[in-house]
Amino acid sequence: MQLAIDTADARPIETQIVDEVRRALAVGALEAGSPLPAVRTLAAELRVNPGAVARAYQVLQEQGVVEMRWGHGPVVTRPAGASEDRAALAKRVAEHALREARRHGVQPRELAEALRAAIAAQASERSTERSERPGEHAGTPLHRS
Amino acid sequence: MTLPVRLGDGTFAIATHDLTKRFGRDTALRGVDLQVPEGAVYVLVGPNGAGKTTTLKLLLGLYAADGGSVRVLGMDPRARGPEVRAQVGYVPERGDWGYGYMSVGRLLEHHAAYFPRWDWPYAMSLAQRLDVGLDRKVGKLSKGMTRRVHLVLAMAHRPPLLLLDEPTDGLDPVMRDETLGLLAEHVADTGATVLISTHLVHEVDRLADHLGVMRDGRLTAQLPREVLHQNLRRYRAEVPAGWTGVPRLDANVVKRGGVGREIQWSVWGDEREVARTLAESGATLRDAAPLTLEDAAVVLLSRKD
Repeated sequence: MQLAIDTADARPIETQIVDEVRRALAVGALEAGSPLPAVRTLAAELRVNPGAVARAYQVLQEQGVVEMRWGHGPVVTRPAGASEDRAALAKRVAEHALREARRHGVQPRELAEALRAAIAAQASERSTERSERPGEHAGTPLHRS
Repeated sequence: MTLPVRLGDGTFAIATHDLTKRFGRDTALRGVDLQVPEGAVYVLVGPNGAGKTTTLKLLLGLYAADGGSVRVLGMDPRARGPEVRAQVGYVPERGDWGYGYMSVGRLLEHHAAYFPRWDWPYAMSLAQRLDVGLDRKVGKLSKGMTRRVHLVLAMAHRPPLLLLDEPTDGLDPVMRDETLGLLAEHVADTGATVLISTHLVHEVDRLADHLGVMRDGRLTAQLPREVLHQNLRRYRAEVPAGWTGVPRLDANVVKRGGVGREIQWSVWGDEREVARTLAESGATLRDAAPLTLEDAAVVLLSRKD
């Protein structure tokens, strides 16, 4: 699994690592038993301070997400895709969007309306796409002329 | 405004006190208290000519100070220069070799003789990863290749302290990336203290855990990264027509800007307190966001005193 760190993101690097691991776990990219890289390996891979990786692993251990193993990276102990983890992830994304909206001078109500409209637009786009490529997967060429 | 300039008590790999250096009638350093904690990756940022290179040379005992004291790994580099230099990996800003006739491989052998802890397998792996050709003539190296050779020389004896003067200057993006990876590994393996002087903060951003800001021979800020992120924030607010500012905050505003009735201020201080002060002045706060290390450095450097 590739963890993504963004220097344009002002969150501390250890927070970014913690959030990335928890995100990967919530969406099932990581699962219980998945090994994480050793501190040295992940620090070198991400080109970050090894201290930041060690602190992130410490936090993840305290949160009961991973268990440390001597001489290796930690191993994930929490089951993947737990509904409360998915909800927490969605909440984080929502809060981020809300902050962005406020920063831009957009009211929460306006954001919610725009989000609903965007979801509806994407859904209708997708259904149009489906009807334009009829039955390819089902193997029943309904509209083929 | 008082930005933190002292880290307080602790174990420091480098500690200078009231360090002063003059060159003829020019004063290069005016009372610098540099404190680099053991095991830190400390980025010293400042424009060209701020005194960064002079500081590094004083730490190595290559210059004599005109005032103040220097301690490097517990030693005075003027009294015990060879001992200090044996424990420091140094990448100079300019590679003025006296060994132009040598091949790079010969230069490594020459260098290794001075360092009892020189690690040949590590040196060879560094050279390979930085794509350093051992049979190249030292006198004919490009700027970037010179830098890469210096990095090999600095790290191959696994020193407890690295002093890197503009280490990424002249490196192409791939080599810069490789260098950062090597430095991360070096820190993980040795717990070394690293002092990086640069005017290109974003290039070493990910490794830094301490920041020092140098201007005109003075250290104007010195602090752990988390303290910086915690206390320096960019506030966006909508202000009523005719709003003239908040005198009470003036001393803490590092940078101000904005368009029309929307202001964007970078302010040092406790977030809640700043937010409350802004709200009391009639402003509607929209956002208080931490700054990236690069943005913070730029803001601190462009501050008008």
